[in-house]
Amino acid sequence: MTVHPVSASDAPPTRPHQQRPDSAAYDSAAYDSAWAQTEMPAAEPYGLEPYMTADGKVYVVLAVVLIIWLGLLLLLFRTDRKIDRLERRLDEDGSHGD
Amino acid sequence: MATTASSPLVHRGLYRTVRVLVVVVLTGVLLAGFLGWIPQLAILEESARNLYFHVPMWFTLMAATVVSAYHSVRYLQTGRRIRDVRAREAARLALVFGILGIITGMVWARFTWYEGTGKWWNFDPKQSMAAVLLLIYGAYFVLRDGIDDPDKRGRIAAVYNLFAVVTMPFLLYILPRQMQSLHPGAEGSPTFSQTDLAPAMRWVFYPSVLGFIGLFWLLYTQRVRLARIRDTLREKPEL
Repeated sequence: MTVHPVSASDAPPTRPHQQRPDSAAYDSAAYDSAWAQTEMPAAEPYGLEPYMTADGKVYVVLAVVLIIWLGLLLLLFRTDRKIDRLERRLDEDGSHGD
Repeated sequence: MATTASSPLVHRGLYRTVRVLVVVVLTGVLLAGFLGWIPQLAILEESARNLYFHVPMWFTLMAATVVSAYHSVRYLQTGRRIRDVRAREAARLALVFGILGIITGMVWARFTWYEGTGKWWNFDPKQSMAAVLLLIYGAYFVLRDGIDDPDKRGRIAAVYNLFAVVTMPFLLYILPRQMQSLHPGAEGSPTFSQTDLAPAMRWVFYPSVLGFIGLFWLLYTQRVRLARIRDTLREKPEL
């Protein structure tokens, strides 16, 4: 996929509240434009926040990866337990059929 | 039973190849995801790396729901029980990946956009609609549990599944696209345009999507094989 730079002349027109990402005034807070009107109380960080937001918030990435990894591991172990139960039944029924 | 215990549900060579590829690709994604360069953004900072993990959960859900719907169609056409099994297991994994996607989305937003507010749920349009979609697929399993006769259960569940899959693109993509939302691609602009996703991140993002879809396929195949063995045992008490 090639990326073609959009020049100012042929860019689509923006709506009044939108900003173009390559303009000097743009910052990612523009994604928050919908919430800019609401007053968010900026409380002192408490609970998990001091730890999760440290080091450039990389621990948020770690948390996400851990959630996915542990969720999939859970699925793996549940499936294994089902297979074990079936194999046990096979062994029992097999011995009865002898 | 339409299939015998000996006929393979999946080609073993294919399964093993995909397994190796998925392990290699996802390990690479993990490494590149943590070590690679990402553009520096305010508020998100390093958590932008979650793009490689949170978003593929949803692409995987979309793939899983389509696979499930395909098998529902085939079940309605042929009536073979294995198709119903495939539809059910694909829907189950769609639900699993969807739940992982919702939880990871909540955690991501909680410490970035909603830092200092204590909010875990944002009623963001895409988030709320994704939750509705998960409820729809949860109801699929409630529906299945309520019907005893396997043929009737398969048919009714298949019809419901087709309605469910039709809602998926509307809830996840078309409706949130039109509304004010935290997610990229809102307010009428297409998702992942060149300004939404840095080219450097695409190199890790696309393999991650493919890797997680491959992982879904592996887990789905495992569970279908498991279900087939269990059904065979049930129908042959002398085994």
